[in-house]
Amino acid sequence: MARPDPNSRWLFISLVVLSLLAVACFAYPLYVIWPFRHQDASELGIALWVKRIGPWLSMLCAALCVAVLVLLWGRLRWFGRTAGVALVLLAAAACYGARVNVYELMFHPAGTPQFVTADHAKVDADDMVVAVRIDNVSRAYPVREMAYHHIINDTVAGEPIAATY
Amino acid sequence: MRDDQTGTFWQQISGRAVAGPLAGSQLDRVPSDELSFALWRGSARSGTVLKPVSAFAKEYATKDWDTRMKRVKTVLDFPNSGLQSRDLVLGVEAFGVSRAYLVAQLVRDQLTEDRLNGEPVLIVLGPDQKSLRVFQVRVQAGQLPSDYYRYTAGTGNATMRTPLFVDSTTGSNWNFDGCAVSGPAQGECLPLIQSTKDYWFDWRNYHPQTTVFKHPGRVRS
Repeated sequence: MARPDPNSRWLFISLVVLSLLAVACFAYPLYVIWPFRHQDASELGIALWVKRIGPWLSMLCAALCVAVLVLLWGRLRWFGRTAGVALVLLAAAACYGARVNVYELMFHPAGTPQFVTADHAKVDADDMVVAVRIDNVSRAYPVREMAYHHIINDTVAGEPIAATY
Repeated sequence: MRDDQTGTFWQQISGRAVAGPLAGSQLDRVPSDELSFALWRGSARSGTVLKPVSAFAKEYATKDWDTRMKRVKTVLDFPNSGLQSRDLVLGVEAFGVSRAYLVAQLVRDQLTEDRLNGEPVLIVLGPDQKSLRVFQVRVQAGQLPSDYYRYTAGTGNATMRTPLFVDSTTGSNWNFDGCAVSGPAQGECLPLIQSTKDYWFDWRNYHPQTTVFKHPGRVRS
């Protein structure tokens, strides 16, 4: 059986590296910023940087994976082709994952907030609210709702605010 | 938090941008309160309340969520601080210093007097026996700040306007807005100081220079 030529071997290695790099664009920030996990400042800085460039870098990696597999295709046997396709699919999945905000899958955003008058609010008297007042306009955000959505993008008396909990 | 416009990441506790094109920028904090709905409604009849999003309402926290949260392990501990990681504190950052007050003790004491960098402040328990506010004890020129306050509110259907405490200098009665409702100081209001209810481990992590108030015992009543 003929041994794979060195060029093919290096191309396949680069396919593996590109696929893993795409996965890192998605997985590294997810690992670092996971809830209830301590991060130090430098680790968090790197994770946030990867998160910012991840969507584009992972897309580039996935595109290069496809290009490398096309180059290699004629030189691969069935096992190599299967592994190659798997690596490309992995890179594509990572490319999608790098664009998904998993934290908003855990805690769905409230979208455009809706409000009711105090008399119509279904809030228990002893429930806590976060209250703001801007130019005599009063707004209350029930803590039990805020503890899920975490951020409400609102405008109070013409002022854009982000109510957070 | 991350803004969609620039992709900058912002720290929720401080409002500071920590990564991205606007790194180093600072959001302005809007003065806010955490108080019971009944108390808020009594003083903001024309106010509006966030409506629950029906699709996710069943995911919202239950009434005992803070009790259950106390059992969740923290990512940081400060073992020699004298407080437990999940102790609820009222954090105040004013006059160049940070101080944490144990909420359970503030509730027991009802009225707590302190000085932050020499400035007298008063921490008042609301008529709902849950809400807390911090006031700067500043008086008009020619007057002396009181060095003795007495909590006077009872239980029952107290509202924001219910007189809560009286000061020794003028004998005026003050409500939870920090305004004198009767007596010689009637109409005057004490400046409100922003405070933050937080777990000790979190407050301590972001305020490494913070001190912890040592409660001397109940204020005289």
